[in-house]
Amino acid sequence: MRRILGVPDRKQNLPQLYRFCFLMLGDAGKAQEVFHTTLREAAVRAAHGELPKERFWLFRDARWRCLEATKTDLQPEPLQLEESELTSQAASQVKNLDPAQLAIWISAAPEPQRSALALFYLDEFDYDEIFDIAELKLAELAHVLVQGRRQLQAWLNARFAEAQK
Amino acid sequence: MNSPRLSRRQRVLLNCAPIGQHNLMDRAMRSAVARATDSSEFVNQQNFDRAVAELVRLIPIPPETAEWFSEKDLAVGSKWTWKKMVRNPAVLAISIAVLVIAGVLVWQLLARLDEFPGSATARKLLAVASSTRPVMLDPVSTEAGTLSDLFFMKHGLEHYDVPDEFADFRTIGCRVFEDESSRRIAQIWLAEKRMQLFLFPAERDTKTGAVLKFPGWRHVHQEGWVGAVKEQSDVCFMAAVRGNDKDLEPYIGKPKE
Repeated sequence: MRRILGVPDRKQNLPQLYRFCFLMLGDAGKAQEVFHTTLREAAVRAAHGELPKERFWLFRDARWRCLEATKTDLQPEPLQLEESELTSQAASQVKNLDPAQLAIWISAAPEPQRSALALFYLDEFDYDEIFDIAELKLAELAHVLVQGRRQLQAWLNARFAEAQK
Repeated sequence: MNSPRLSRRQRVLLNCAPIGQHNLMDRAMRSAVARATDSSEFVNQQNFDRAVAELVRLIPIPPETAEWFSEKDLAVGSKWTWKKMVRNPAVLAISIAVLVIAGVLVWQLLARLDEFPGSATARKLLAVASSTRPVMLDPVSTEAGTLSDLFFMKHGLEHYDVPDEFADFRTIGCRVFEDESSRRIAQIWLAEKRMQLFLFPAERDTKTGAVLKFPGWRHVHQEGWVGAVKEQSDVCFMAAVRGNDKDLEPYIGKPKE
């Protein structure tokens, strides 16, 4: 694994960094652009001995770039999405999804839900670390995750109901 | 469905419960998860989260992005090399100091190897040889070997014998003088290569008074002069000539027949 010096191994998992960008942006081209810019910048800073000492700066930096990249994009209208209780079939429904579909769904979520879902489902960080990167509190994180699950379940229900017709 | 009694904080924690066991570090989280293990609601949540995380792991990495994941470090801070190490001023200064110290030690060791009982006197006599003029000696034209009798008869110097290697050479002059330690030195000037011979008392142990003997020929050097010294019968003999060891090589070590 290519490493950036000064970043602990687990926190500089570069494939996971790319996946994070992809989940945040829902577009492989944009994700690559942000990923490459982040790493090029990190390489320049490393060459000058200016790598930040704080934890997760690489993910924080990539998140900030993702937010910047979508700032000028067309923003979704704030609307109340349908929510459903998680069912025992939810897991099998998710397995029938394509990763790109999931990324598009997550990337369309409003902040901070988008960052929280992307970071949480990377399965790379514990909740303390997610607070740190996404600047959230426990109650906020719990709320956006619960809401995200329920909304995703509702979307899955609708999608598979349509497919069965 | 079992619905365990959970505090509000525990319910909040469960909503953020990690997908894999590897992130279950926090004690409060562990406790909340342990209490909710039997809850079907929580089981559904965990299955759902695991399925989503599994899907995330399936996100393909484009080849141009995968190039970043090579074995090399992205930014090699300062690679250690011999060149850089040598150019470091501190290392350079220490290396020079160590070399100088090593040089001095080697020089002292080599100097010690040249030392032998009487070497200090021999060096002084080389200085005498370099400053001696023929007029300072009594003119004597004979074979060097015959001067032993003269030294014994005239000056009472016992065993001041010229070794066989130099005994047959013709002399120009000779003298007997005392050095600063009142030791009596015999000096002979030869016609052969303007060589000078010296005979002087061998060094003695300051405590016991015993003569400090040494085997064979030993060399001393001083101001462009070289001397070959040999101890015999408590007397040191030195053949001195301007030049180096090679100038004396033909004479020493092969007694004349």
